[in-house]
Amino acid sequence: MVTAPRLPELQECLENSLRDAQGGIVGVSVQAQQRSGQSPGCSEQSRPCGVQRGRSGRVRPAGPGPCRPPSRRAGPWAERGGAGMAARAGRCCRAGLSCGALLSPALLSPAVLSRAPATPRWGRAAFSSAPAVSGREGPQAREGSVRRRGRTLQFVRSAAPPRTERMAVDQDWSSVYPTAAAFKPASVPLPIRMGYPVKGGVPPPKEGNLELIKIPNFLHLTPPAIKKHCAALKDFCTEWPSALDSDEKCEQHFPIEIETVDYVSSGTSIRNPKARVVTLRVKLSSLNLDDHAKKKLIKLVGERYCQETDVLTITTDRCPLRRQNYDYSMHLLTVLYHESWKTEKWESEKSEEDMEEYVWENSHSQKNALDTLLRIKASENVSNVTKEELLASEVVKNYRNSVIALKNEGETESNISQYKESVKKLLNIQA
Amino acid sequence: VQDRHSDNSHLALQAKHTEQHEGRLYNIPLEELSAVFPHGLPHRFQQQVLTFNEARVMVRKPALELLAYLKGSNFSHPAVRYVIYGERGTGKTMTLCHVVHYCSRQGWLVLHIPDAHLWVKNCKELLQSSYNKDRLDQPLQASVWLKNFKASNERFLQEIKTQKKYMWGKRECTEEGRPLREVVEQGLARVRSASDAVGVLLRELKQQSHRGSFRLLVAVDGVNALWGRSTLRKEDKSPVCPEELTLVHNLRKMLMNDWSGGAIVTTLSQTGSLFKPSSAYTPQELLGKEGFDALDPFVPIPVPNYSPKEFESCYGYYLERRWLQHEKGQGWGGKRGMRVLGLELVSSKWAKKLDKLNTDFCTHRDAQSFAVPSVSLQGPRTFPPCASGLISSVCPCTPRVST
Repeated sequence: MVTAPRLPELQECLENSLRDAQGGIVGVSVQAQQRSGQSPGCSEQSRPCGVQRGRSGRVRPAGPGPCRPPSRRAGPWAERGGAGMAARAGRCCRAGLSCGALLSPALLSPAVLSRAPATPRWGRAAFSSAPAVSGREGPQAREGSVRRRGRTLQFVRSAAPPRTERMAVDQDWSSVYPTAAAFKPASVPLPIRMGYPVKGGVPPPKEGNLELIKIPNFLHLTPPAIKKHCAALKDFCTEWPSALDSDEKCEQHFPIEIETVDYVSSGTSIRNPKARVVTLRVKLSSLNLDDHAKKKLIKLVGERYCQETDVLTITTDRCPLRRQNYDYSMHLLTVLYHESWKTEKWESEKSEEDMEEYVWENSHSQKNALDTLLRIKASENVSNVTKEELLASEVVKNYRNSVIALKNEGETESNISQYKESVKKLLNIQA
Repeated sequence: VQDRHSDNSHLALQAKHTEQHEGRLYNIPLEELSAVFPHGLPHRFQQQVLTFNEARVMVRKPALELLAYLKGSNFSHPAVRYVIYGERGTGKTMTLCHVVHYCSRQGWLVLHIPDAHLWVKNCKELLQSSYNKDRLDQPLQASVWLKNFKASNERFLQEIKTQKKYMWGKRECTEEGRPLREVVEQGLARVRSASDAVGVLLRELKQQSHRGSFRLLVAVDGVNALWGRSTLRKEDKSPVCPEELTLVHNLRKMLMNDWSGGAIVTTLSQTGSLFKPSSAYTPQELLGKEGFDALDPFVPIPVPNYSPKEFESCYGYYLERRWLQHEKGQGWGGKRGMRVLGLELVSSKWAKKLDKLNTDFCTHRDAQSFAVPSVSLQGPRTFPPCASGLISSVCPCTPRVST
């Protein structure tokens, strides 16, 4: 079949159209001019002139080739005059709308962007521009196309570019993620990869990445967002007292810290049983305790005391209400304080194993040292040396310190060498 | 290199080892070795003596330090306790043996307990002590030790006399004033009373040492066994505490510093110890609270790994004895190579690896196969990575490429 010569408008249209990498027509400049009567031959056509590109890439020129009967849809307009139609069609064209079955006489030169073999029977001409369609999509259905799969037809949605491409760098992020929400790859303009990497490759990208969606994210809690929260909450707050301008002053005036948590959730009830927990924190240095009282208190509280920070933490949750728990924790603190100041009768039975740190007085080490020194003195026939004298002597003091360091701090090279020197001096060993 | 290994035994005789001799190896004549060390040498060293047909001991700083203390000690004062400690394989037992050899050359009476751990584990026979109902006797261990003790201290056993009459059971007794040799022979003859014989021996020596007729050296290897736990069980399966053992009880008494006229040199040992982690090597860790309190105050003597100088000396000795062999002969920048590689190796551990290599080499040479023996360099201490490089280059078993 010999194809009919193309209309000059059509040819122009073809030349002006944007072509993509594969040479397929991507975009067409719609000329919204009213040209009337240019090709009367085509005016009878109730068919849009356009380029229909089938899957095979064949360009089927519409036009005076195979004359097709007017489409059903074009029915009512076909009888009308050409000029009116032209005007109407022109208006539509100017608007750039994609009309369904739009009669468009040859006056206009629309282009049908369709890669799929949109059959002329359906007469769907879509006036839509796809400015940047990546070749990645392949011979998939494009806008407004219809794919036939077997017997049924699927209207394939157009794949719009992700929102991230249109985001400004200085946009207001808290409006993108105002609340806690799942991770949306199209809304987060970050090139994140997550997951187990492909062999010899990299972790999968963020698009369709379940791992990123599963995990909790804090995109709704960026510092500017929190600033906004604070600004909103400020109306409900009072001024910070100006006299408390440093941590030490806060410690000094308010040594006890009470921590409570309030829970808000969307639901029918405002109650949350977790809200009754009260944590009381206090530094033992701010309590008036002597040595015995402090040791006793530490033994009484056990795990609740932290050696490094000297903080006692009492957590109460045994009462149903927060106020009750707070009262109970204060009561506990009071009781601990008073009890640790008391000395019971059985505390005198405290043995060496109970001691928190090594005490040299009345220890085996002291006994041994004294015995040895006494024997040395006896061998030198020096008598009348009392224990107190020996204990007060320099060498013994040195020895005592080294043993205490060895026992309390553990064995390090320096500790052991210090011990060695002190023993050598004690026993008067010369090299 | 040659002068390192010259026979410096005369220096040992005159006890003139000083710092200038550090790193050198001195020779102990083999007859003397069997006399002084019927027991007590480390197994690896014994093998080396058999292989090289000579006993060479390296003079090292901790031993020199100890010898200096012993030379300058006042024998009217109570005995000073020295505790040699260090990580595994650093040479604690060899240091102790050096000191024992020195003291025996000087004419001291050496009470050498080779390994106290042997007394608290793997004991087949435990008898109830006749002397004290609560204690347990170990006849086998006691008799073995008595035999070795007798071999090393014949002279003294003849000279020292008992001060008390001792009854061995109902009929036998040792009168006052008899030489100690009879006590020892009684223990050897009547194995049941061997532990008591050991106890008597220790008691007598302790009481008589202050007189000055002899100097007493108590050398205990693995002293932490005395205050640890034991794996022995009584007949009713209850565990035995070490103090319930007669031998341990008497030895503990010996280690107290309530006697004078000698010294006590002990070694801590994790190898062979019971219920102690392998990383423990410091005095408190191994002795525990009880042991520390019992030995306190003592002089701790740390024994480190080989210094570069000592390493070179040992390496040179092995080269000289043709124990290490290079393909390219001596000129392979042996020592220079060492310095380049910057190795710092453990004394006996490294020797173990090299020995294994060499034994493998000997077997392979016969088989004409040149497969590289797989040298397993595992151990509690990982070698520096260049060590494997060294050993594979030293190893003559690298396949000859020409074939």
